[in-house]
Amino acid sequence: MRQYLPFIVIGLTTGGVYALASLGLVLTYRTSGVFNFGHGAIAMFSTYAFYSLRQHLPTPIAAALAILVVAPLLGIVIDAFLFRRLAGAGPTAAIVASLGLLVGLQGLAVALYGGQARTVAPIFPSSTYRVFDFNVGVDQTLVVAIAVVGGAVLIAFFKWTRLGLQTRAVVDNRALSGLSRTNAASVTRLSWMLGCAFAATSGILFAPSVGLDSLLLTLLVVQAFGAAAAGGLKSFPITALAAFGLGIGQGIATKIVGEIGNPSLTGLPSALPFILLFAVLVFSRKGSLREAPSVRSTVRSGRVRLTRRFPVRAITAVFAVLLVIPPFLNSSRLLTATLTVAFILLFASLSLVIGLSRQLSLTHAVFVALGATTLSHLQSAGVPYMLALPLAALLLTPLGAALAFPAIRLSSLYLGLATVGFGILAQNLLFPTPLTFGAQRAVLIHRPGFLDGDLAFYYFVLAVVVIGVVMVEVVRITRLGRILVALADSPTAIGALGVSPLASRVITFCLSTFLAGLAGGLLGSLVRAVNPTSFTFFDSLVWVTVLVMAGALTFGGSVLAAVALVAVPAIFTSSTVSEWQPVVFGAATILLAQAHNGLIGTMRQLTHAAAEQWQRWRIGSDRTLERQIWTLGFGDGDGSPDTVDVTTVRSAPQPLAVQR
Amino acid sequence: MNGVRLDRVRAGYGRTTVLRDVDLVVPAGKTVALLGANGAGKTTLLQTVAGLVPSTAGRISLGPQRIDHLPEHTRAEMGLCLIPEGKGVFRQLSVRDNLAMFAIGSPLSEAIERAVAAFPILGARLYQEAGTLSGGQQQMLALSRALVTDASVIMADELSLGLAPVIVDEIFEVLERFRSEGRALLIVEQFVDRALAIADYVYILHKGAVAFVGEPAQCQDHHIFEQYVGATP
Repeated sequence: MRQYLPFIVIGLTTGGVYALASLGLVLTYRTSGVFNFGHGAIAMFSTYAFYSLRQHLPTPIAAALAILVVAPLLGIVIDAFLFRRLAGAGPTAAIVASLGLLVGLQGLAVALYGGQARTVAPIFPSSTYRVFDFNVGVDQTLVVAIAVVGGAVLIAFFKWTRLGLQTRAVVDNRALSGLSRTNAASVTRLSWMLGCAFAATSGILFAPSVGLDSLLLTLLVVQAFGAAAAGGLKSFPITALAAFGLGIGQGIATKIVGEIGNPSLTGLPSALPFILLFAVLVFSRKGSLREAPSVRSTVRSGRVRLTRRFPVRAITAVFAVLLVIPPFLNSSRLLTATLTVAFILLFASLSLVIGLSRQLSLTHAVFVALGATTLSHLQSAGVPYMLALPLAALLLTPLGAALAFPAIRLSSLYLGLATVGFGILAQNLLFPTPLTFGAQRAVLIHRPGFLDGDLAFYYFVLAVVVIGVVMVEVVRITRLGRILVALADSPTAIGALGVSPLASRVITFCLSTFLAGLAGGLLGSLVRAVNPTSFTFFDSLVWVTVLVMAGALTFGGSVLAAVALVAVPAIFTSSTVSEWQPVVFGAATILLAQAHNGLIGTMRQLTHAAAEQWQRWRIGSDRTLERQIWTLGFGDGDGSPDTVDVTTVRSAPQPLAVQR
Repeated sequence: MNGVRLDRVRAGYGRTTVLRDVDLVVPAGKTVALLGANGAGKTTLLQTVAGLVPSTAGRISLGPQRIDHLPEHTRAEMGLCLIPEGKGVFRQLSVRDNLAMFAIGSPLSEAIERAVAAFPILGARLYQEAGTLSGGQQQMLALSRALVTDASVIMADELSLGLAPVIVDEIFEVLERFRSEGRALLIVEQFVDRALAIADYVYILHKGAVAFVGEPAQCQDHHIFEQYVGATP
């Protein structure tokens, strides 16, 4: 037991930081109904601000500025420009916008500070004191103290202050709190400021031990998701306790894994929060995880009809262009083109889940990586390439089916969280095993002789992608697609019709996984060597934001997404383009999260509006016609005059006047 | 004490217009019954006055002041109180916290005293979650908001919906009391005869427009109800 104590102390420290991060997350989720996937990015960004401020100012002032000024300002911006705009757009739009925030802030940090990690000098004195004859750091004690005090203050604030009461009231019933003379908007804004301050605190406390690495800081706070989910995204005390528990568990797991010494298990301690996250989501009682009502707006965006026709013209046009361009490309451009085409398949696979079922899958990178590794393993087992490629993808489908089960039970947000958990678990626990990348941390893929040439391989990829895209489009236009769209609308109605959601969800996730695995095989064959960092958890998030930005509902969106992600930075080789690309993606996703079918849909609507305007201009201002249409629209069809006779109303007795 | 006046108010949701140029006056200290069939726009009208639904044209004034550009919480501060249909309490908050929310800015003990004086049963439930109260008790708690805020204009949306007749009596007693205190009332009510008994004036909405304005006595002509409300009182 004694030898575990130091690890428990370390665990308490990390747990304290998790507690701060997850409390901030739960706070903003409860008051705004928006789960902020970008919470970690806010922590990261504030920590960078702290780092910069610290170079000119004493540490306490820099920390105070970062926590009390920079982070709350971020909160105000997020509240005003991000989530208030999205009020009423549905939970998925808000989640995608918060992913956009994550990708954008992450990109901004890299663009401004560069990608390499920096060390952060300790904030607290590193001296130690002895308790029960082992050493405890002063810094560790202070971190735990800050977390405990922060948590206690938050809980006390909620319970006993007037503002806390107002916050609880806004969470309970937003409209009624407005009617009760409480400014709900300013309460929400305040909770964003407070939540961001908590995030910043956790980031700054983390930084000395992990260094200033934008991705690492962002993802470390993602670990707070587990604690937040354990508290049902609701209870502050349970969340805080779960966070401390996670920290201690991680400390002990580190010790145990270190003793066992199996390299495959090194990812276990850091995966612990996601095991908890995944377990909470998958094994929770049905109906116990309900989403907080998001802010509803009275201004609803007009819903455009979902076209479910086979896009013959679009597919023909796109692939005709792809068929003829190779002669115009030099060898490096040809590689870019191949990569782009393979990504079209990847995005088509993603659009099946995100666009058609309107569900969130944040784990596609895992499928892509596994597609490549499985292909490699099959090849080394002697399976010929042409058979191994589809077989590898086919072998992944049970994974997709496994994900379909939480997809039936969980709403958009919780499914998103579960897939995040799954993605990171796979990356931490599955990737180090021989089943995937193994100890060499890389796999090789050999293309058969006739595909060795770049041009031949380009046409091969094109052919596979055409087949894959056609499969997706066939799903879209058939009964399955209709059921998926209906399921996204109202699972209850579908159940009442006697259609089980199980089969359609399973088929969709299997097909999506199969196509992602296929894309992984193609991408792996293109570069011939894949390692665990080729396709990371973060890529999954970027892909989702890019696809939603481009348009997740149609084939055109998948093409546009592939071009924007792969082709653009390859064509404009300037470093500015590749540096600012994620920032643009993030910002565009936030702007377009609410749009119907992203950029493609917006362009469509604009052309439609222009055409209508043209029609109107041609007809001229024929008011009579307009009036006729108005009357027709409101008649109830029984032939009787439908409108109230205005003259009688006006001549009715008017005994009333405001008496002052 | 103030009254409320609507001048050619138009409002709706997205592209759908619900209220079409509605003129309506609730004079200070008077009671107006707002009647109409389902979907006539009664609730939308109350919500538009309260600020939950934005008006797209026309003007709404509270006493001398124009309020249609103000957010709902400011309108509430100015003395406008809407008791929304069926959702007038914070369900997850205790009765005491509910009263504290209603009485923000004034002493809580006084608010509790006044609410309990009107509805003694609430005194025994102070620490109970409001969502676990019976429907009648919840409605009483909701009405307490008008009680403790000294609102000059009270708008009540279907107060009696789903309640036992005894409770309805009790609630109407409180409405009578508001009336005698000189507050203006705008009530939407399913029990037409009860509403007529308490009202000084009657408005009938039909498809989002005012179809009839008059005094309760004029409503003895059943024809009006058959035409617009679909029932005879």
